[in-house]
Amino acid sequence: MEEWLYIQTEVYPALLKGFWVSLQLIVPSAFCGLVIGIMVGVLRVYGSRPVMAAADTYVALFRGIPLVVQLFIWYFGLPYIKIYLSPFVAAVLGFSLCSGAYHSEYVRGALLSIKRGQMLAAQSLGFNKVRMIFSIILPQAIRRALPGCGNEIIYLIKYSSLAYMITCIELTGQGKILASNSFKYTEIFLIIGVCYLVMTSVAGVILGRVEDRLLLPGFERHRI
Amino acid sequence: MASPILRIENVSKRYGKKDVLKGASLTVHKGDLKILIGPSGAGKSTLLQCINFLVKPDEGRIWLEDQEVHYAHKRNLYAYRQKVGMIFQDFNLFDHLNALENVRIGMVKVKGMAKSEAGERAVMELERVGLKDHMQKYPAQLSGGQKQRVSIARALAMDPKVMLLDEPTSALDPELIGEVHAVIRDLGNNGMTMIMATHQIGFASSLASEIIFMEDGQILERGTPEKIFFQAENARTKEFCSKITELYGETR
Repeated sequence: MEEWLYIQTEVYPALLKGFWVSLQLIVPSAFCGLVIGIMVGVLRVYGSRPVMAAADTYVALFRGIPLVVQLFIWYFGLPYIKIYLSPFVAAVLGFSLCSGAYHSEYVRGALLSIKRGQMLAAQSLGFNKVRMIFSIILPQAIRRALPGCGNEIIYLIKYSSLAYMITCIELTGQGKILASNSFKYTEIFLIIGVCYLVMTSVAGVILGRVEDRLLLPGFERHRI
Repeated sequence: MASPILRIENVSKRYGKKDVLKGASLTVHKGDLKILIGPSGAGKSTLLQCINFLVKPDEGRIWLEDQEVHYAHKRNLYAYRQKVGMIFQDFNLFDHLNALENVRIGMVKVKGMAKSEAGERAVMELERVGLKDHMQKYPAQLSGGQKQRVSIARALAMDPKVMLLDEPTSALDPELIGEVHAVIRDLGNNGMTMIMATHQIGFASSLASEIIFMEDGQILERGTPEKIFFQAENARTKEFCSKITELYGETR
C-alpha cells in the first residue's frame, strides 16, 4: 500500500514531467536531424568537390565522436568562447547534428540506388540540377531511405536519455533523481524501460504507416 | 532550300583511349526522319546523347535553327534541351509519378506552367498516344508499349522541334512494337522532325527520309532507304543490311 502511494504521489508526477521533456527533445531533434540528413546526403552525392569534402568531414566528426562527448562540448565547452546554451538547446543541437550524420548515410545510399535513366530523362526535359534532385530523385530516394531513417529515429528516442548528463532533466533524469532518493532503482528503471519501449513501439507503428502511405504501385514488399 | 532545323558538325567523343564517336556530321531539315542503323557499339546512342548533351562531346558544334548551342552555358543548355525531345530504349518514366504526372511534370517544373493548364495539355498528349484510360496508372502498372507511349507524350508536351529516339522498340515484346510504331508514324505524318536509332528496318525503310549507317564511331554511308538496303556501296553496309533483314524480315 505504501509502495502504491509512493508511486502515485511521487513517481508518477515526476516521470510524467520527464516524459514531456523527453518528447520535447525527441520531436524537434528527429525533424531537424532528418532535414540535416537529407541536405547533407544530397550534398555528399551531388555537391561540388569541396562541398562534398566538407559534408564528409561533418559526418566523420559527428558519427565518430561519442554523443556524450559531443553534448559536453556543446554545453560545457562553448561557454569558453562565450556562447551559452541552455541544457535543452544544447541537447537538441547535439541530437540533431548527430542524428543528421547518420540519416545522411541512409539518404546517400538511397540516392545512389536511383537509376541513371531517371536523371537522363529529367535532363532531357530541360530540368536543371536542383529541380531534378528535388522533384525527381529525392521523392524516390526518400522512400528507399525510410526504413533506415526510421531506425535512426528509434535510436534517437533511446539516446535522448543522455540529455540528463548535461542537466536537461528528462525521463531518465527524473528516474535517476527518484531512485537516488528512495533507492528503488529496480522498480523505477523498470517503469522507465517500459516508457521507452512504448515510445519506440508507437514510433515504429507511425513509421510503418508512413512507409505504407508512400508505397508506390509496383514497389510493394514481396514475400518469397 | 530552307535552312536546316538542326546541324551537327564533326561531333567526337572519347572514353579514355577509345574513340566512340569520330567526327559525325548531320544536317536535319524540318520534317526529316533520319534513321541511324549499325551494330551495337557503333556510336548510335552516343551520337543521339551528344546531340542533347546528355553526353558532353569532346569536339564538335551543334546548331538549332541557326543558333549555336553553347552547352557550357547552363541556361542555354536547359532551354535547348526543352526543344529536343528524347525517347529512351528503356523508357525512363519517373517511377514515383503516374502517367499523367509524368507528362505534366516537365511543363510545371521546367516551363513554369500552372498545374491545371499543364494537366489539360498532358491529358491531350496522352489521348494522342491512345492512353487516356490509363492516366492514373503508375509506370509499374503499364506494359512496355504503354510506357514508351507515355514517354513519347511526355516529350511531346514540351513542344520539341526535334525528337531523338534511341531504339524506342528494342526493349519491347514483338506484339507491342506495333503500337509504338503507329505513334511514331503518326508523328512523322504530322511533320515532326526525328532522328531515330533502330534495328526495325522494315519500319525504317517505309518512313525514313534518309538512312545513316554507322560503324565504329563513324558514319560510313548514308542515303535513301532504297540505296542503303538495295544498292549500298560500302561492303560493311551490305553485310549488315543483309544480316538484319534476315533477322527482322523484309524491308518492304
